[in-house]
Amino acid sequence: MNQFCRVDDGQSPGLSALADAPAAIFDAIPSAICVIDIDGRIIRYNHRAKVLWGEAPQPGKCLEALCESCRIYGNGRELSFAETPAARVLQTGVPVAEQELEFELPDGRSVALLVNCEPVRDDEGQLAGAICCFRDITETVRTRSALRRSLQDLEDFFENGAVGLHLVAADGTILRANQAELDLLGYTREEYVGRSIRDFHADEDAIADILARLSRGERLDKYPARLLAKDGSIRHVLITSNANMCNGVFLNSRCFTVDVTAWRQSQVLQAEAERRLAATYEAAPIGIAEVDEKGRLVRLNSAFERIFGYSREELLGLGFQEVVHPEGDTGEDGYREQAAGDDHYAVVTRHKRRDGSEIFIRILSSVVRDETGQVRYGVRIVEDVTERKQTQNRLEESERVSRELLEALPVAIYTTDINGRISFYNEAAVQFAGRRPELGNDKWCVTWRLYDSDGTPMPHEECPMAQTLRHGREMRGLIALAERPDGTRVPFMPFPKLLRNATGEATGAINMLVDMTERKRAEDEQRALIDELNHRVKNTLATVQSIAAQTMRSTPQDFAKNFESRLMALSAAHNLLTRRRWTGVGLGELLDSQLAAHAGDEGRVRLAGPEITLSPRIGVLLGMLIHELATNAAKYGALSRPEGMVRLNWSVAPNEAGRRHLRLAWREHGGPEVAPPSRKGFGTRLLERSVRVDLRGQCDLRFEPAGVQCRLDLPLD
Amino acid sequence: MRVELQGLRVLFVEDESIVAMLTEDMLADLGCEISAIAGTVEDALAAVSQGGFDIALLDINLAGVMVFPVAAALDERGIPFAFASGYGGKGVPPEFTGVPIIGKPFRIDDLAWVLQAALVRNRKKAAGCGEAAVEGG
Repeated sequence: MNQFCRVDDGQSPGLSALADAPAAIFDAIPSAICVIDIDGRIIRYNHRAKVLWGEAPQPGKCLEALCESCRIYGNGRELSFAETPAARVLQTGVPVAEQELEFELPDGRSVALLVNCEPVRDDEGQLAGAICCFRDITETVRTRSALRRSLQDLEDFFENGAVGLHLVAADGTILRANQAELDLLGYTREEYVGRSIRDFHADEDAIADILARLSRGERLDKYPARLLAKDGSIRHVLITSNANMCNGVFLNSRCFTVDVTAWRQSQVLQAEAERRLAATYEAAPIGIAEVDEKGRLVRLNSAFERIFGYSREELLGLGFQEVVHPEGDTGEDGYREQAAGDDHYAVVTRHKRRDGSEIFIRILSSVVRDETGQVRYGVRIVEDVTERKQTQNRLEESERVSRELLEALPVAIYTTDINGRISFYNEAAVQFAGRRPELGNDKWCVTWRLYDSDGTPMPHEECPMAQTLRHGREMRGLIALAERPDGTRVPFMPFPKLLRNATGEATGAINMLVDMTERKRAEDEQRALIDELNHRVKNTLATVQSIAAQTMRSTPQDFAKNFESRLMALSAAHNLLTRRRWTGVGLGELLDSQLAAHAGDEGRVRLAGPEITLSPRIGVLLGMLIHELATNAAKYGALSRPEGMVRLNWSVAPNEAGRRHLRLAWREHGGPEVAPPSRKGFGTRLLERSVRVDLRGQCDLRFEPAGVQCRLDLPLD
Repeated sequence: MRVELQGLRVLFVEDESIVAMLTEDMLADLGCEISAIAGTVEDALAAVSQGGFDIALLDINLAGVMVFPVAAALDERGIPFAFASGYGGKGVPPEFTGVPIIGKPFRIDDLAWVLQAALVRNRKKAAGCGEAAVEGG
């Protein structure tokens, strides 16, 4: 027994003692034990060791060999066996205590062991081996690791979390702060931790309130505060905090600090923007209102109040339609300007104001919808357009008056747009053209067909109006022919003129078509008359030429007197015709004029017959013939003696064919005896020939001894 | 030149006797023979059909009726003719614009000229017609 109770006084136990020690002691020790000799061979081991090894080693097996299939880690690195406590003790004889080793087994498992190793000496005190004591601390190590990791995580979380975190003691001392907290304010750890939190709050009252509440155990949620940053700026924060209490005693606070400075700024800007919007809205010169989905007014500006004459309070909540049409009807003047679906429309309508006055308002209506298409609210913009409407009415009235004026004019007038399409025509134009033009369809001219004044067809697109519209030429003095559908043609003179708007731009043209029929007729008549006159003058000159030649031939000795006489006879006939504008001459007056010189007052020429009108042709000739007969009677016949006389009778009667004939008889009495002339004089020749040829009548001239007898029978028509 | 006019038989169409008498005297002085006188278009056309004349002198306006049908008839027969007119050259249809014309009143020299011109024109026309026939054939 003494062997076993030998107290160690600094010497290692003897190897032999250990080798001989009873197994029961080894097994009783609550740890795995193994004893190795100086060569590392296992001499003794206990049950626990066997369990740990998983095998009972062969006697004499080296510990190294037992461990050779494992990888050994210790002190944070892989160890060779020589570095293990057992080997080291054998080498050095110095005990190794409390060494943690990790064994990685071939099957992949890891085992952690706490190893204590003591040298063992022989009886002489020489190092003879070692005794190793090892316990499986795998679980413990695992737990410890987990704990360590957990702690690390928590530490990391606190320190590196994105939100500012700090702990504050009851007196306000900052116990701890994380990096985010420091960054928020810009302080270093030394400048912050350990100082009073009060130093960093801009508002004393706020921090005092915060600490008070926390110490009472209250929780603060997003408590707004202002902190002093290192650079002097104010940071707006929200503090969420609670207290760590222990038995009703405030130990420390747990604070989360969120920097809302930027957010606040945007809030301020937004508020500013909203204020501006509201101010704009309010100050707008036109009425703006918002209505809910039922059309009730929920917001409106002052202009809106003014237009309708009601205060805001009176209007809010009322339906928009109620306000616009208090009497329920939309008024005849209401009309839609446009309808682009249901969401947007514009309307001009009459409104009776509170004071009874009537105004015209223009309402622009739109709807604001949310993402799902639901109506959020409607917008109504109201503008007083009374003045504009009155101006428009005046304009329309003025146009109406103009139109009536044009309509009342008896001359054809029409207008076209700048492209030549007819936009207006009056009734006189319809009369003129013989057709009703188609508005908006017919182009350039109201007429059916057009021709030049000489009959060349003129396409409508080349007519004077088209020239004006297309080329700006306003032609004047042109005469054209308009053909009506019934074929009649009308000469006319167009007066096209461009119409311009206020800016001087050509917007269309107006044309007046002046009927030239009368003027043309008058011109044609005049032309005809002048031609006629010309012809007559020439013929008269030829007649005078002939009379001169004839007179010269028959009585050259009395040429002047005879020529003048014949000339005067012709002139007398012309004078009578001129009195009646060459429409005819009375037979009576003709005879009087030709016989005046010879008749005298004695009644030597007796005329008897009805009053008839002769055509100019017959009148002139008959005048000449009577002159010849009278001249002859005065020279050689009845009128050469005072007792001689001439009876001149005539009558008018229809012949077998019903045509009017003049029968005239010239009978001389009481003159000298008549003998037929040797040579036919001008008068004789003229009588015989002209009555037959010119007048298509008959002449019976006889030189009776008692006196010349001449009978004429000629048609009057 | 007046030699040509000697013995020329003239159809004279004029509706006013006084004027006609002078023209007839002029024609006699030129050595022409008045083969027929007509005062209306009808009488003139009848005279044309009858023939027996070498040349015609036509007053354009016969009491308001134009003499051109007579001119056409003469043209058809290839008989030379001339116009005498108080109207001047106006109103002559295009087919007769080449016909020699004198205005009234005229002198005997004018009358000689117009008859001469009518003969020349007729000769040219006859030659032209011949050529035209060759060409057109």
